Amino acid sequence: MDIVPQLILNSIIAGAIYTLIALGFNLIYGATKFFNLAHGVMVAVGGYAFFYFAKTLGLNIFVAVIIGVALAGLVGYGLDKLIYLPLRKRKASNMVLLVASLGAFTALQAVIAILFTSQFKTLSQNVGTQKLFEVFGGIITQTQLIILLAAVLVMAGLVLLLYKTQFGKAVRAISDDEEVARIVGINTNKIMGYVFFIGSAIAGLAGILVGFDIGIEPTMGLSLLLKGVIASIVGGVGNIYGGVLGAFLLGFVENFGIWKISGEWKDAIAFVLLIVFLVFRPRGIMNK
Amino acid sequence: MEYLIHLAILFAIYAILGVSLNLVVGYTGLLSVTHAAFYGIGAYATAILLTKTGAGFFASVILGVIVAIVVSFLIGAVLSKFKGDYYALGTFGFNTIVFAIFLNWQSLTRGPLGIPGISRPELFGINFANNFNFLILALLFLGLIYFASRFITSSSLGRVLKAIREDETAIAVFGYNTLYFKLAIFVISAAMAAIAGSLFSSYITFIDPSGFRLMESVFILAIIILGGLANLRGSILGALFLILLPEILRFVGFPADIAAQMRQVVYGVILILLMLYRPQGLMGEYKL
Repeated sequence: MDIVPQLILNSIIAGAIYTLIALGFNLIYGATKFFNLAHGVMVAVGGYAFFYFAKTLGLNIFVAVIIGVALAGLVGYGLDKLIYLPLRKRKASNMVLLVASLGAFTALQAVIAILFTSQFKTLSQNVGTQKLFEVFGGIITQTQLIILLAAVLVMAGLVLLLYKTQFGKAVRAISDDEEVARIVGINTNKIMGYVFFIGSAIAGLAGILVGFDIGIEPTMGLSLLLKGVIASIVGGVGNIYGGVLGAFLLGFVENFGIWKISGEWKDAIAFVLLIVFLVFRPRGIMNK
Repeated sequence: MEYLIHLAILFAIYAILGVSLNLVVGYTGLLSVTHAAFYGIGAYATAILLTKTGAGFFASVILGVIVAIVVSFLIGAVLSKFKGDYYALGTFGFNTIVFAIFLNWQSLTRGPLGIPGISRPELFGINFANNFNFLILALLFLGLIYFASRFITSSSLGRVLKAIREDETAIAVFGYNTLYFKLAIFVISAAMAAIAGSLFSSYITFIDPSGFRLMESVFILAIIILGGLANLRGSILGALFLILLPEILRFVGFPADIAAQMRQVVYGVILILLMLYRPQGLMGEYKL
């Protein structure tokens, strides 16, 4: 049997998931210029919020998705207002912000584990009865198709938002030079708050989708965050297109890397890709 | 009493980890979040050597140190080209990968099952199965590492490291190859962490990968940031404080599984609060 079509499909799906993480991460990095590690836990926040509203309270799936995404966004927004904004006002260094985000990551992940136990949970309603589609000899599930669609839609939406609206102009101005943006009258702190909301909401959506595809656990954010960060660096940190490119490159490298060896080495392969880029092209593919 | 000795041994192990990490983070200003990886390498070296061969504890310590030196040299050679947040991110990824290797290299590490039945050391007729004797041994190592670190920081090497922290370009202009110095201190610190790992696995007599995940590195980072960067006594104080803290939580009376998570919450919140209100820690001489 030919395994290549399936590997290609798996790579594309992995790339789509990493895209969702990298988009939000890059958006936030672009505006604030620090690595927001707490971004990883937003994935779990989204997944668990959906789990609570859809499964425990029994709400309609679509309502629950909206609540989950919004809640992840709100947590991101709250972190910005409570922690990052005061630090920024004090002109704290990037390292201080990074350590603070690491603290937020650790604390929030543990809070989720306390509320929902650290057991693995699955989100899909009827396991095993998913519709399967055959594409060029490979198999793709309905959930995975939705993931792909969501990644494309979110990216298109983000590009429209950034390049066609007043708000997007302000975000790009801040990414370019925060000080100048403030001088010309942009309320940078307000805009950054929104950027945190949008970025975290996208991560929340990713969490829900991954939850449908595989399942959720409190620690799910870490490895996804790592992949998102690697994708961002490979593509070019702070660059929206770069993040997408990096995500798919990572998806392909990872999945073809384990063609001949055991699947558990995926993370190691991803890290090797990061090291290769750090050594030879630390600014990433897209950045000048 | 037996319980106090247990806490004292844990304190000694974490004080070693804190002091050695402080060399990298505090003195050289490189935010390394991968100390648990080298701690784990030492622990696994001892565990594997003691359970699979008849070699003694001290031989296993040396093996652990050698493996840690080789690994830290390879990864450090790449990382030392960077500073600031890229450095942090690289170490962050590296810890995740090492954890994945502990978990997945089942033929060597037995994966999630862990390695039981590690024996306690015996030397000159003194049996370290006795906890009190083991405490003396641990404190001896702590003293050794503390004075070695003191020697390093007060030597000319220590002054170069501080200069790298304050202004890497300036010291490079004076003809110092900063890459070598950053690499050297990273390797030294990793070797010291491996010793702590050997002590840990021999003391607990059982190890599994969960003790060496990223959160453990965050914990060690919390120790030194709380105690104070670039202050060795601060790291010891930090270790004392954070080892005793869970005991206070225990008196509050949480169930065991929640208490473990509660600890993570506390560590995370401590990091955030320190960054917000006292980034130099209790007695630090350097702010991130």
